[in-house]
Amino acid sequence: MNDMTLTERAVQASDIKIEARGVQVHYGASHALRDVDVDILGKTVTAFIGPSGCGKSTFLRCLNRMNDTIDICRVGGKILLDGEDIYDRKVDPVQLRAKVGMVFQKPNPFPKSIFDNVAYGPKIHGLTRSRSELEGIVEDSLRKAALWNEVKDRLDAPGTGLSGGQQQRLCIARAIATSPEVLLMDEPCSALDPIATAQVEELIDELRANFSVVIVTHSMQQAARVSQRTAFFHLGSLVEYGETGQIFTNPSDPRTESYITGRIG
Amino acid sequence: MSNQHILSAFDRDLETVQAMVVKMGGMVEAAIHDATTALEMRDEELANDVRKRDKAVDALEEQINHEAARLIALRAPAASDLRVALSVIKISASLERVGDYAKNIAKRSHVLMTMPAINESAGAIRRMSRTVETMLNDAIDSYIQRDAKLAADVRARDIEVDQMYNALFREFLTYMLEDPRNITACMHLHFIAKNVERMGDHATSIAEQVIYLVTGETPDEARPKTESVTAFTTAED
Repeated sequence: MNDMTLTERAVQASDIKIEARGVQVHYGASHALRDVDVDILGKTVTAFIGPSGCGKSTFLRCLNRMNDTIDICRVGGKILLDGEDIYDRKVDPVQLRAKVGMVFQKPNPFPKSIFDNVAYGPKIHGLTRSRSELEGIVEDSLRKAALWNEVKDRLDAPGTGLSGGQQQRLCIARAIATSPEVLLMDEPCSALDPIATAQVEELIDELRANFSVVIVTHSMQQAARVSQRTAFFHLGSLVEYGETGQIFTNPSDPRTESYITGRIG
Repeated sequence: MSNQHILSAFDRDLETVQAMVVKMGGMVEAAIHDATTALEMRDEELANDVRKRDKAVDALEEQINHEAARLIALRAPAASDLRVALSVIKISASLERVGDYAKNIAKRSHVLMTMPAINESAGAIRRMSRTVETMLNDAIDSYIQRDAKLAADVRARDIEVDQMYNALFREFLTYMLEDPRNITACMHLHFIAKNVERMGDHATSIAEQVIYLVTGETPDEARPKTESVTAFTTAED
């Protein structure tokens, strides 16, 4: 099958942003992720799908070392970002997370103003030298997150006062304010209504011009709509990884077929 | 892999639309059979019956398209389920065309009944149409059984039909050259033979849909063919 005939879906398959090899994750005695090999491409939306507990979120959290915060969690194998091992002792996880941003399931704005929510990252990472530069970054990030027009007149209002969809877009603006190279999204639309979901999906597609986006989603339709590459996880293993159109029309593994067609796996 | 969806209503929808296709296949096979029998036996009543029955075939195609559209809109089918939805649309379109050809044969046989028979040609057409009937039957069977091998076999058999058509074409040409009074009857017979040849092509394309349905891939263009276009013959793909 063609690698998607629509040019809009075409991606540069040689542009590998993250290279994961033999990734293993244990939570205490339980083996959560077995031997995962994946190449995440640059300027591409990659969707992770699979039933609950299949390891997709666990793997996503490996990509910016969020699992470091869990004491009983052990991560094995190699994850290279632009060829550098992110689990190397020289790597500062805080710096890493500035490069690999994350958006969570529930919108979680800081209890601060809209402006400060977005300005927080650039400030603590010392990315700006002047107030006007900071203002520029905030405006730019809010524009990229398609929120600027709705909030430009009330940047001092609390972020928590926005609607659910706006809060999630605020979180996305916050995540992209530090100019990350990769954006991880864990079920970013599960708490949103269909309109807000469509806006976030539109945004994800726009973000692809600058970032590599990895999204975990329970909605297979969402994975089909927004991604160019799809990975299917099942029982802690990566079952199939490929071009989204191929996965949804002619998957090669029967387990993938069972899952995406809504049959019992 | 389990064949059952978690949502059993989805299974019922898929089964319903596929049962309609199988039913349509049966109706169309009967139409081919009866149309050519009517031609050979000069059975006016049977020819009329074939013409009347085509309405039901057309209605069923419309119903299948409607159900397939609903299935796509409401169930968002993926992978093999999606291929079922797409293939029922294409297969029913092919069957509808075959039904039209059978109806056209019945129509022409009315005209032919008013003329003297041209040797054994009605019998030759009937034999050719039996080959097509078997192809169609096997194509529908391969659909029910999800049997890509049988479908590939149907696809390979189309060459026989093309050869039969080419032989008939030459024969009609000879009769017309022998005696111009044969021209009207032979032209009708030729169109009938051409209709049967086209039916074979539709049976082939149904078989190709089955291969797509089962494997997810469309078979390659390469398929045994006669040198079908010469000065006198033009059997199409």
